[in-house]
Amino acid sequence: MAANQDDYAKPRPAISALNRPYWDALRRRELVLQRCGECGMRWYPAAPLCPRCWSRRIEWTPASGRGRVNSWVVFHQSYFRGFDAEIPYNVAEVELEEGPRLLTNLIGVGAGEIRAGMEVEVVFDDAAADLTLAKFRPRRGAA
Amino acid sequence: MPPFDLKDRAAIAGAGASAYGRRLMRSAIDLAADAIAAALDDAGLARERLDGMIVTFGSPIGADADTLAQVLNLKLRAYNQTWAHGRFTASAIQWAALMVAGGMADYVACLASVSFSGLRRPMMGGAGNSEGAREAGGSHGEDPVFGMTSPGAGAALVARRYFERFGATSAQLAAIPVAFRKHAALNSAAIMREPFSAGDHQASRFVCEPLHLLDYCLINDGAACVIVTSAERARDLRKPPVHIAGMQPLPAGREEFIWAYPGFGVAQQSVFDYDAGAPPVYKMAGVGPRDIDALFTYDAFSILAWMALERFGFCKPGEAAGFTQDGRIELGGALPMNVNGGLLSEAHIMGWNHQVEIVRQLRGECGPRQVAGAEVIQWANAYGDSLIYHR
Ligand SMILES: [Zn+2]
Repeated sequence: MAANQDDYAKPRPAISALNRPYWDALRRRELVLQRCGECGMRWYPAAPLCPRCWSRRIEWTPASGRGRVNSWVVFHQSYFRGFDAEIPYNVAEVELEEGPRLLTNLIGVGAGEIRAGMEVEVVFDDAAADLTLAKFRPRRGAA
Repeated sequence: MPPFDLKDRAAIAGAGASAYGRRLMRSAIDLAADAIAAALDDAGLARERLDGMIVTFGSPIGADADTLAQVLNLKLRAYNQTWAHGRFTASAIQWAALMVAGGMADYVACLASVSFSGLRRPMMGGAGNSEGAREAGGSHGEDPVFGMTSPGAGAALVARRYFERFGATSAQLAAIPVAFRKHAALNSAAIMREPFSAGDHQASRFVCEPLHLLDYCLINDGAACVIVTSAERARDLRKPPVHIAGMQPLPAGREEFIWAYPGFGVAQQSVFDYDAGAPPVYKMAGVGPRDIDALFTYDAFSILAWMALERFGFCKPGEAAGFTQDGRIELGGALPMNVNGGLLSEAHIMGWNHQVEIVRQLRGECGPRQVAGAEVIQWANAYGDSLIYHR
């Protein structure tokens, strides 16, 4: 359910000219990563050139949206009013199939059920009228 | 190559601190004045001769170097300041050694002063942590969009991965804060002195799980300062010099995450079996981990002590959980760590309180918590920098 922009009480991303394509793609319900046209590397966060070969021939291309839980934490203390109602909430580091790791919230899984290596897939969360977040849930049909 | 030319060329001539407390209700400038004056007095050095300064944690929590020079009427030929983090303690001392060797200053005060109680908006997580919201992420893995905030959350992410990768437990991690609290009980300057058990640690609330409240360091007020000069000048001062034999600078890069050594596999680090090899700080000092009489480390969160031990080869990856049990890191054990009580129990002065303690230990001034026969003491951190001091 999209909320009015002014009602959104959580911190907003630091959107810059560099990472704007990532956030614009999420609005279209697409998860994208940069890809190097020279060496094929994929990476996160956004960079102005390929971190491996420094090529400027880079483009934003779709990612699979599949990955595994690399590590995770559970917040029992609230630091932001916007998260007060969700305490305790999880923050997971998901390693995408393409290699880069994203911080995210896992949904559809209890804090006590999260496991390292758990297979997850992206869910597009329309957090505000102008903001969609990439969250993750246990992958359907995964072991 | 380590900077062999600097081996034993610089020394700490004086060390001093303000009072430490949870809510001293004093300004950071006021606290800094106490620490600088105490360090000068310890060295027997007139303030007119202080001509250099490096601050590692300035406003709004701390006092900036230029402010201190103005307000305290110091005539500095050279000063510098890092941005406000605890990780730059060894860097400041190393740069001071370079300044002294290069003739840019003769006596350099290295310090931080902090007054968390005077701050209106908490900086350690939440809306006041503006750096956590910077483009491409915060220093400790912050991503506030998902509620990921505070330095401790990044340490919790490392702790969880450590537990999963090596089969270690939070109950084993309790050995770190339990040991440092025992040390603090012997230190009248320490803020938290009441001993607790591993069971108390397990029963303390989670802040960011898997880290409990007792895995977190203090948030407090205080200042601590050391004065770096050349070994020659130090010989003519009031107290015996504490020489800096080994230096290892602070690394940065894609394989580094502040709370984890390369290969650990958090943030964008690769995953491989880390091998400490022969860290340059030991080559430069001409000693190895077995020669270290006491080890001090930046213990903002208990897990960092395990990461430091593995990073510097005191034990192999995954072994610190076992290594730190049964009193080995306590006073009287084979490798006493953070004998002052650390950031976890003495005070969080960005590691400067540890440097003050190292100087006092090497002079044999520490009374009930003196490490018997301490001759070589190391400062070594999860994030990869180090100093080796000796008498
Ligand atoms: Zn490339």
